[in-house]
Amino acid sequence: MRALLASTLILAATSAAHAGVEEAVTDHALPATEEFAEATAGLADAAEADCTAEALRPAWNEAFDAWLGLSHLRFGPLEEDSRALTIAFWPDTRGMIPRALGGLMGSEDPVIDSVDGFAEVSIAARGLFGMEQVLYAEDMAGYDTESYACGLARAQARDLAQLGEAIAADWADFAETVRTAGQDGNETFLSESETKQAFYTALTTGLEYIADQRLGRPLGSFDDPRPDRAEARLSGRSVRNVTLSLEALRELTHALTPGETPRTDEAFAAALDTASQIEDGDLSGVADPMRRVQIESLAQEVRGIRNAAADEVGQPLGVSAGFNATDGD
Amino acid sequence: MTRTLTALAALVVASPALADKAGVVTTYADIAQAGYEDSLTSAQRLQSAVEALISEPSATTHQAAKDAWLAARVPYQQTEVFRFGNPIVDDWEGKVNAWPLDEGLIDYVDDSTVMGGENRYAELNVIANESFTLSGEEVDAAEITPTLLEETLHEADGVEANVATGYHAIEFLLWGQDLNGTDHGAGERAWTDFASGEDCTNGNCDRRGAYLQAATDLLVSDLEWMAGQWAADGDARAAVTEGADAGLSAMLTGMGSLSYGEQAGERMKLGVMLNDPEEEHDCFSDNTHNSHFYDGLGIHNVYNGRYVRIDGTVVEGDSLSDLVAEADTDVDAALSEDLDHTILQMAKLKAAAEAGFSYDQMLARGNEEGEALIMASVDALVKQTRSIERAVTALGLNDIGFAGSDSLDDPNAVFQ
Repeated sequence: MRALLASTLILAATSAAHAGVEEAVTDHALPATEEFAEATAGLADAAEADCTAEALRPAWNEAFDAWLGLSHLRFGPLEEDSRALTIAFWPDTRGMIPRALGGLMGSEDPVIDSVDGFAEVSIAARGLFGMEQVLYAEDMAGYDTESYACGLARAQARDLAQLGEAIAADWADFAETVRTAGQDGNETFLSESETKQAFYTALTTGLEYIADQRLGRPLGSFDDPRPDRAEARLSGRSVRNVTLSLEALRELTHALTPGETPRTDEAFAAALDTASQIEDGDLSGVADPMRRVQIESLAQEVRGIRNAAADEVGQPLGVSAGFNATDGD
Repeated sequence: MTRTLTALAALVVASPALADKAGVVTTYADIAQAGYEDSLTSAQRLQSAVEALISEPSATTHQAAKDAWLAARVPYQQTEVFRFGNPIVDDWEGKVNAWPLDEGLIDYVDDSTVMGGENRYAELNVIANESFTLSGEEVDAAEITPTLLEETLHEADGVEANVATGYHAIEFLLWGQDLNGTDHGAGERAWTDFASGEDCTNGNCDRRGAYLQAATDLLVSDLEWMAGQWAADGDARAAVTEGADAGLSAMLTGMGSLSYGEQAGERMKLGVMLNDPEEEHDCFSDNTHNSHFYDGLGIHNVYNGRYVRIDGTVVEGDSLSDLVAEADTDVDAALSEDLDHTILQMAKLKAAAEAGFSYDQMLARGNEEGEALIMASVDALVKQTRSIERAVTALGLNDIGFAGSDSLDDPNAVFQ
């Protein structure tokens, strides 16, 4: 009897925490997809009104901010039709973005006039990074309203809005697929455990991406720092991307984990504090021996979050990280 | 409920089957050993063909060398599944199969193709230059040796696209650049690029031959080393056979990471999304359909514990499929079906390419038939990855450091 009572109490305590896959869907994923749809719709509206670089930058930044709220959810609707890769094609190690844009501009390709046509264009010319190049690159951003570049920016904005709308609509359906995990007819998730693993993999992969890519790429090595490899360097939002992504991952952690996560919380706080102190928004400090230390610390702190989360999130959920899209080289 | 009961029953059956696990990882090591030995044998044939091309340049010896390269890819691509999950292989692989490359580092290229991006040495052209400055250091390249390629040029300036060694460097030297874009056709290097005296085209034929020879010699010695790692007393064999669970984890990690992040993502989907023929894995020779197909077959081999060698003999033994079936017949059935399905999709891609619809044509903007062929394989690979994850769970391997990235296993890795 006592054993029964005890287990009932534990159950009660667990549900009282209001956390789990349902919360990750309702409180984290769905609001993030809606915000991204709204922000990209706003970007498309702004581009219809005025497609010059100066006018579009605020709406583009809002769309990028919103993207960081869901960019780590690399399963389901974000993987469908390679949407995540289309929205954020980075790193561009081979200079494909300027090449693809140069190809369109050089021939004044009329494909920008058609929404469906532009959706067939190389992803290097689309998405947030294709648009960053148009809005911020020195040799591009000075275009006027009658120019081809202006029409290109409008096409990019419209394309992003369409992607945002599709993701939000698909996530509304996909939420049901997550909720009905393990039930007959659900071929995506054969058990609730698989949905936990999907979210947990998104968390760990998101953290690794910040440490290895967003910070690791510009850090390079001490003898050979590579500030030119920082993400969103042209718009100077490299650090902002790290911060907003960390905040989104912290929100996911809390939505997903039934118990307390004191070590993970502490690690998040430390990393966010370090990020707030970095002065160069484009991470160009990696090339300065003094300022570099801070960015190296940040990368270590993000790895620290990853390790704490393995104990405080992965273990209680009973899952380990699955395969992720960055497992290749 | 039924599933829980089945799983419980399977656990009871599976736990005393430790001998099977040992047998499964031994089969795995045997297939790896045979695969690298076959890769070595076929690379030695390529080496002889290259020697013949250099000593007696002609259209015939040139074609024979290209044929030998194509044959050498067949066993090698089937070993790619050993890469992820085995650090000994992964640390070494970049010397042998690195891709994509900025080939302007090695030899002359068409002006329209130089992009560079982050690469400062995308137009270095070692074959045309006996000395040059690299990352601030003066380099004497009067003599082109395996050491120069391996230690000075490969990944020069910390740029991965500076690929100076391995299959794809050799491929470029044999075929030349594919300048057909997303139209049909491979690289069209003439045999006279290796001719002597006045017949020599594009200059520096002797240095081009020396480069080809050095790169091929290096490939042979690298493969020799790796075959040894899987021999009876090899370290790679020991790493997977000493602890059977770690070995099983390596097998599934290799299968899953190659299926998803590497092949479905990096190699296949990206090319479609970029409409870029340079994103073909074997872009100079237009052999990409085979490279993908044999990668898929390698995954199939590992799961089913069976490999057909280049001389037709068969290496087989206790299989991972049997082990998973003992734990959960449903999981094994689904994964087996997924792997078969992937091979079928890859075979369709290969058939279309061999019939004349080449892989670069499939990548063209708006080419729906090509996109459908490639994406059918990508979807199949993604689906089999989910089944591989279920096999990991069925075997109770979740707690083993699984699919770890550099940063997990070694916090300092990215600073190296």
